[in-house]
Order: sequence, then structure tokens, then C-alpha cells
Amino acid sequence: MKKTVLALAMGLLAWHAKAQNTCATAVPLVMGNYYISQIDGMEVPEPVCSTGGDMATAGEWYAYTATMDTAITVTTDLPQNNGLDTRIQVYVGSCGNLTCYAGDDDSGTGYSSTITFDVATGTTYYIAFDNRWTNAGFTFHVGFAGPGPVVNGFSTVYLPTNGMAYCVVDMNNDGLDDAVSVTANTITINYQNSNNGFTTVTHNTATASNTPSWSMCAGDLDGNGYNDLVYASGGLSFMMANDSGTAYTTVNQPQYIFCQRSNTVDINNDGRLDAFSCHDVAPNVYYINNGNGTWTWHQGGLGDTPDGGNYGSIWIDYNNDGLIDMFIAKCRGGQSQASIDQLWRNNGDGTFTDVAPAMNLADYQQSWSSAWADFDNDGDMDVMIGASSFEGGGHKLMRNDGTTFTNVTAGSGFDLYNGTSIEFIARDFDNDGYVDVLGGGSLLHNNGDMTFSQATVPFSNGPTGDLDHNGFVDVQNDNTLYLNAGNANHWITVHTVGTVSNKNGIGARVEITSPMGNQIRDIRSGDGFRYMSSLNAHFGIGSDTTVSSITVRWPSGIVNTVENPPVDGMVTVVEDPTSSVGIAEPATAVITAFPSPATTVLYVDAPSKLIGRTATIMDLAGQVLARPVMEHGSVDVSALASGIYLLKVETTSGSKIAKFIKN
Amino acid sequence: MQVRTGTLLSLGLVVATFLSCRKDVPLPPPGNSAVSTGVTFNIDSVPYAKLSQYHFFAAPMANLQPVAGVLPYEPITPAFGDYASKVRFVWMPPGSKAHYVSDSRSLDFPEGTVLIKSPYYDEVLPDHSRRLLDTRLMIKKNGTWIFAEYVWNEEQTEATLNMSGVNVPLTWVDGNGQPHDELYHVPSEGECTACHKYFDERTPIGTKPQNLNRTMAYAGGPMNQLAKWAAMGYLEGGYPNNIETVAKWDDPGETLERRVRAYLDMNCSHCHFEGGFCSYRPMRFAWKDSSDPVNLGVCVPPQDPFAPGVDYIVHAGNANRSMLYYRFSSTLEAVRMPLLERTVRHEEAIQLIGDWINAMPDTCQ
Repeated sequence: MKKTVLALAMGLLAWHAKAQNTCATAVPLVMGNYYISQIDGMEVPEPVCSTGGDMATAGEWYAYTATMDTAITVTTDLPQNNGLDTRIQVYVGSCGNLTCYAGDDDSGTGYSSTITFDVATGTTYYIAFDNRWTNAGFTFHVGFAGPGPVVNGFSTVYLPTNGMAYCVVDMNNDGLDDAVSVTANTITINYQNSNNGFTTVTHNTATASNTPSWSMCAGDLDGNGYNDLVYASGGLSFMMANDSGTAYTTVNQPQYIFCQRSNTVDINNDGRLDAFSCHDVAPNVYYINNGNGTWTWHQGGLGDTPDGGNYGSIWIDYNNDGLIDMFIAKCRGGQSQASIDQLWRNNGDGTFTDVAPAMNLADYQQSWSSAWADFDNDGDMDVMIGASSFEGGGHKLMRNDGTTFTNVTAGSGFDLYNGTSIEFIARDFDNDGYVDVLGGGSLLHNNGDMTFSQATVPFSNGPTGDLDHNGFVDVQNDNTLYLNAGNANHWITVHTVGTVSNKNGIGARVEITSPMGNQIRDIRSGDGFRYMSSLNAHFGIGSDTTVSSITVRWPSGIVNTVENPPVDGMVTVVEDPTSSVGIAEPATAVITAFPSPATTVLYVDAPSKLIGRTATIMDLAGQVLARPVMEHGSVDVSALASGIYLLKVETTSGSKIAKFIKN
Repeated sequence: MQVRTGTLLSLGLVVATFLSCRKDVPLPPPGNSAVSTGVTFNIDSVPYAKLSQYHFFAAPMANLQPVAGVLPYEPITPAFGDYASKVRFVWMPPGSKAHYVSDSRSLDFPEGTVLIKSPYYDEVLPDHSRRLLDTRLMIKKNGTWIFAEYVWNEEQTEATLNMSGVNVPLTWVDGNGQPHDELYHVPSEGECTACHKYFDERTPIGTKPQNLNRTMAYAGGPMNQLAKWAAMGYLEGGYPNNIETVAKWDDPGETLERRVRAYLDMNCSHCHFEGGFCSYRPMRFAWKDSSDPVNLGVCVPPQDPFAPGVDYIVHAGNANRSMLYYRFSSTLEAVRMPLLERTVRHEEAIQLIGDWINAMPDTCQ
């Protein structure tokens, strides 16, 4: 009884303490998150502007006064609300004489609400929540619907997402990053428009038995020119894009896996992407791509600790031998040996060997991910192994010295950084030519001398890419896009298109040379812990205005160099086995050949420009087999034996190349 | 608009009754003799390929009527497993017995001990029948525990060893007649190991004296479980008579705090424990540790910015801002807690934890 009285007394205190119970005491809003503990204000929002009827008995009142002509979004569609039942009314006018301006009941996930409306400078908009469905408290977010003011270098844009917004990658093969969010049976893609903004399309899919709750990655698994998606939770599900990237087929793999980080990578280097998943409680697993729509399950050889502890796999070439290796950030409580990190060297013969002890990377520290980059631009990949907890030791910055890694944490800034996270990634956020680290709630800015300074950013980790093609890395957090406003620094983005190697060029080493020196990137699908980020290699070049060369070392061993590419833009490099000189293409001019497999006639997707031109058909070693004239923008391939071939066409805008399969 | 249809409250209160083919058949009297009659057990040959090879149960096996020496037991607070009911048994080779270690550690079992747990659902569609899913054995062999998962066939005549972690789709109907689609997951060996872990050893979870110290109905009348085990010769006498005992999580006569602590102890502490799978997180959910609010995460910030605005593991007075409540409320594989053994929301537990948090004064500023 005593307890009840106490609770009641506290409730009364709270009542008086809260200002937002009436229109007249509405709390002014700016951009950000707000929390309502309970809907109990005595002024019921009327009239009702949303659907759902007029049976509310209480409300909570806020006011937003616009400082610019723009649009704002108010939403309760936030993960911490679990789809809680909410309702929003938006008014103009004065208290006691309000007019409906907008309203929403259930536009968000579950029964949550989301509304976007235009606002005019100087006008006050009253935003009220009522208790039509529940009195329960929740968090709501107010943000600009279009680019808003820049805060700490970033402006926010609201993106209509649905489900898990874990992926930023090019989905329509135009070279531009798109934002992907998924549920078990929908794929919602915010396709980046070539001018600005997004076009939102939701594709319905057959139910994926595994959602990407634990992690998500992407890659063109079947080489048809459009990226496929891999969902990892209690196993893997593949969402296979059709030949126009307009529909997806669900392939549920039957094996149970306690998935953690997943990746697409060509493990056996046969030109086809395979799918790898860390296993939390058992040896790691992977599916080898048989190339005919079937997959072969493997467990063993890539992290065999019996009880797992495998969290953050990342595929990098640590020893510059052209073969893709894998590092695993590992974690396990109870002083378990399963927590010791592993580095799996690719032996080039289909086998891998854990060389972490020899390379000074067999660390017990509790890590779920690691950020790999050439932080000192000396030509090899260094690593910052981020602590998820300090129970087993702190963050570790390990410099690659060729034959071993040297712990250079002391004095680097990571020794003092107290943010912990399961997510650490390496990106050059300010295009100064030195790769930074994001994780633990802060950006660790690379000062260029292997020291890092903590900088506050308005977001946490999420998928990254260039979502406004301004050459600066952006970050997505659920339905909020943080657009990097950039600075005066210059940049170049390299989009790799494999032909002999896998279509994305995943596993390729990209190197650029500019006056400030050389920089390297590895093309990788799946870094950090959970998210999938852009497959384009992004380089900042500081004040440099020229890049003398881009060199791509493909997984096939082919090396292509593009001389003097334009900067402050994206360069597409297509793998060409016939020449050491790479084919640099504007992104929109990459061709695909179809159908693949072809039986008699092979078409290309830019036929009008190619009619009458001579095509070169060659095998994967670059041996020329035929030079047919493309009478109708197509070639007759009926005389070819079954196999994989390349088609190359010279045009006024340079060489074009595509891979195809002959039945 | 949300239309609430029915509640699972009644199911949460279902205490496992011992199984028989029809739900209204009374329990079999547990064996009163430690003399093992009929059990076939050769330590060198286990785990057997089929559950029937052990002869733990009288025919038909699906009734799970234990033979003499196979003793039913029941923790005070059981682990939640997607609203499945469960029965549990212990068997030891003749002449061997367990020893008390401490109130909060599992009894120390002799070589050859078998712990048996069998989840099931009543009212499984289409014919509202009882459905056994799997029978889980922990066997003490060569001084350590091995796991053996037996997956029941559709005919419910046999269960076969399968350690790969399979899913069984089914629809069961709750006490209010509401059907629930369920993708029941039979744990893989790795999943078993994840929870049954104590530093580098494997350990039982439910057989801690603090969780067994209760009165049970036996054929000879009600008796304390530990006393019964001792009387049967399954437990060495001389254990303390003042065991620090957990609360029954759904006992409305207990305080919210003791109920929450009991629930967290049984469902969460095997990972959030000093020797556990996830000991690197700050929570310590074992009953012996959780009287300290800091060990429960009260006003302790999470180590990861996991969900914006969820600012403490337990934000006193504010469940919606509490990571514990957030993760208990989720069914997403990577968000939900516990990660294993739960694919649906345990509504009564969410309610309990929410009530407990919201009843605290907000001291986290």
C-alpha cells in the first residue's frame, strides 16, 4: 500500500514538471530525438488530422518554428520503440484556434507514425501526439526531410526505409551507391538519382528464412551485372537479382549457422564470388559458388576453433602477394582461447594458414571487428583492432612492417580512446589522403603520422558510401542519412568491374599515385561487424589536383593501369586481360552481354552505338578467337565451344568489355 | 491501430506437468528406487543413435514415463523456451551419487550421469495434439559433459541423434485459443556449449542447489527435491540446510526485484557470469551476484551505442530507455536477449521487467 502512494505522489510531481501537456505550454523543438515518458497531458489534440478517429483522451504538445523554407520529418519509427502504437497531429494557427496541417497514424513500421511536411520560415507548427491507442511513452525524431544545416560536417536527410537499413551499395549498375533496407519479404531500395535525391522502390520477395539481423553483405554472385544480397542470421539467404536488377529470387540455404560477420569473396579464385560467414559457436562456414546456381557448403579450414568465437571477418591482402587473406576479430568470455584473433594467409593453392602468432596479431582482446587500411601510406595494410569491451585489453593499432605487425598503440590516440564498440571501419572522411577510423561513437581522425584525434560526429556506425556523389563518405543510421558536406580536398573514386575475376573485382588491390604519394585500397564486401558498405574504392588526395595512375591488381593476377585519370570523379576500371593498360570508362558506359549463358546470338546492352563495329571474342587468357562484325549490335556465338569468354568492342569512347558464358 | 487479441498470460504460468499422451492423464509416480531397472547405458557407446536405445522410458516412449531410477526434477524457476513445456529427469549409474559444491554451482555429478530435458507443446495443429520436439541429454563422460540432441519423428515413435541444429515448423494454440506459428529450433552442439559453459568446462545449468531446493510432489508424498535425491542415493548427504534459494519468478507473492533476479539467473546468467560466454559485458546476472544493482546494470551505460536513446542497461524508472527491456522486447536474432532458446517475445517476462524498472526512482542522471 505504501508503495502505491509513493508511486502516485511521484506521478503528480511528474505531471507538474512536464510542460508539454497543453498547446499553450508546447515545448519548442529543434532537430533531434525527444522522449515522452507517458501521454498524459490534459489537452486532447483536436481536431484529429490523422486517421483513427477521435477517441483520444490525452495529448503531448510540441512546437516547431521554421528557420528556413524546407520540409521536416517527424517520426516514431525508431528501433527503440519496437513499432509502438503512436499517432501524430500537426497544426497551424494559434492555441485554441488550430487548423489541421498534417497527421499520421501508421505509416511507420508496426503501428508507428511518420510524417513529412513543408515548413515556411517564421511559421510555428504545433505537433501533438495523442493516446488514441496507448498512453505508453516513446521516442520521436525530428529531422530535415531534405539536406539540413551542416552539423560537425554532416547534414541529415530522412530516407524512407523499411526494416533493416544495413546496406549501401550500387543496385542498378550505374556505379552510384544506393541505400538498401530489407525485411524477410521486401527489399526497399533508395536508388540514388544522377542529379540528386533518391527514387524509392520496394521489391517484394519470397520469404527469406534468414534476415540480415546479424549481418549483411552484397556482391554480383551470378555475374549478371546486378548485385545480389546475402542475409546472415540463423543461416544464409541469398537474394538473387534478375538480369535487369528489377526483381529478386530468394535462395535459402538449409544449414543452420549462428552467423556473425558475413562476406562475399572469391575464396577459391575461380572468378566466381563465394559467400563466407563467421560462426559464433562452431568453425566458420562458406558456400562455394558452383557457377550454375548451385552452392557447395563447407565448414573448416578458415577458422576452426571448435566453439567458434568468430565475430568480425575481413578479407584483405596483408602481405601484398596478390592473394586475398582473412583476419578474424574474435571474442569470448570466461578467459577462453576462442577469443584469440586469427589471420588466415591465402596459400594460393586453395588452403589457408593461420599466421596470426607469427605476425603478432594473435591477441586475446575482446574484438568484434577491425579496421584495416594503409594508415601510414607506406604500401601495406595496417590494422586497428577495436575493443568491444576493455575486459581483455584495449584498442590495438598494429603497424604492418612487412614481416610482422608492430604494436604502435601507445601515443597513437587509441590508447586514450575510451569508446568501445562492435563496429570499427576505416574510411577517409575528410579526403586528406589519410584513412580515419569510425567506431565507438566517435571518429578517430588520422593526423597523417599514425596518431589519431577524437572528433565528435552526429552519427554512430552504419553502412557508408557516397550517396550524393560529392566525393565524400556519407553514413546511414536507420532512416537518417548523414551527408558529408566535404571540404576543399580533392578525391577520386574507383569502380572496379571484373571480367576474368569476379564481376565486382572484390579482392582486387587498387593503388593510386598522386603528388602526395601512393595509396592503396582492397575491394571488400562486408567490413566492420554488421553492415555492407560501398564496393567503390574511395580515395581522398588532399590538395593534389592530379592522379598520375590507377593500378588495379585483379584477383586473376591481371594488372591494369590507367594513366592520368580525371580527379574529383568516379573512374570505372574494367579488367582487361589483353592489355596492361586498363580500360577506364564513365560508369554508364560499361556494357553487359546477354543472355548469359548464350546459345546462338549474344546481345550487348548499348547496341545502337555498336552496330557495324568489330567485336573481339577471346578466352579468359586473352587469346583472340574471333572478330565478328556486329551487324545488328549482336554477334553470332553458335560456333563457340561451351565456356566462359570475353567480348571486347572498340568505340569512339574507348574500349568496352564484357564477360559471357556460352552454353 | 493495434487490436490486442488474447494474452499468453495463462501459458506463462503453465508449470510442466509430466507428460502423457493425453494431457488429462495424471503424472506417473516417480521411481522411488535408485536401482536402475531397464536403463541401457554403456559409457563407451554413448551417445546412441536413437533415444530408444537408452530405455529411459516405458513404452510407448512418447509418454515419457520414466523407468525406475530415472527421476523427474524441476527447477524453482525454469528457463523460458518459446512457451514450450518441458520435463526433466536425472539418471545415474547404480551406486554413484552427486556431491554438493555450493549453493550457486551445479551439483558435481558422477561419471555416467545423464540429465534429460524434453520440450513439448500441447495443442499443436492441425489436430490439437501434443508434440514432442527434441529430447536433450547431457552425459558425463570421461570427466566432462557431452551433449546429445535427439529429434523426434513426426510419428512420435522415435528420436534420432542430430547435432546440426534443425528447425521444426509448427503451429500451437495457446490457452485462449490463439494459434502461434513457430519455427522451433533444436540447438546445435555449438549452441549447447554456448550456454553450458563455465570457463573452459561444460556445466549443467538447472541443477544448482539454489534452484532445486523446493518441495515436489512424489508418489510417497511431498518432499524436498534435494532430500529426495539424497534418499534415493543420488546425492551425498551432509549438504548445508540453509541454502540461499532463488525466488519463483512468477510468484506474485515475491518482490518484483527477486522475481526479476530469479528470471535473469535462470535465463541469462550462464552467459553474463564471470566464466560465461559473454563475461566481457558488465552485467552479472547470477543470483549470488544480482543483489548488487550495479551487477544488474542499473544506471550502467551500455558498451556499444546499440540503440539511440537507450542510454543505460537498466535506466531506473524508465523501461523504454533500458537496454535490458529493449532487448527482451525484440525478436530480431541479433537484438533479442536471450539470443538462444527464444524466438518469440516472452510477454510475461517483459511485463515483469518493465514493471520492475518503472517502479524504481530515476536515479540515473
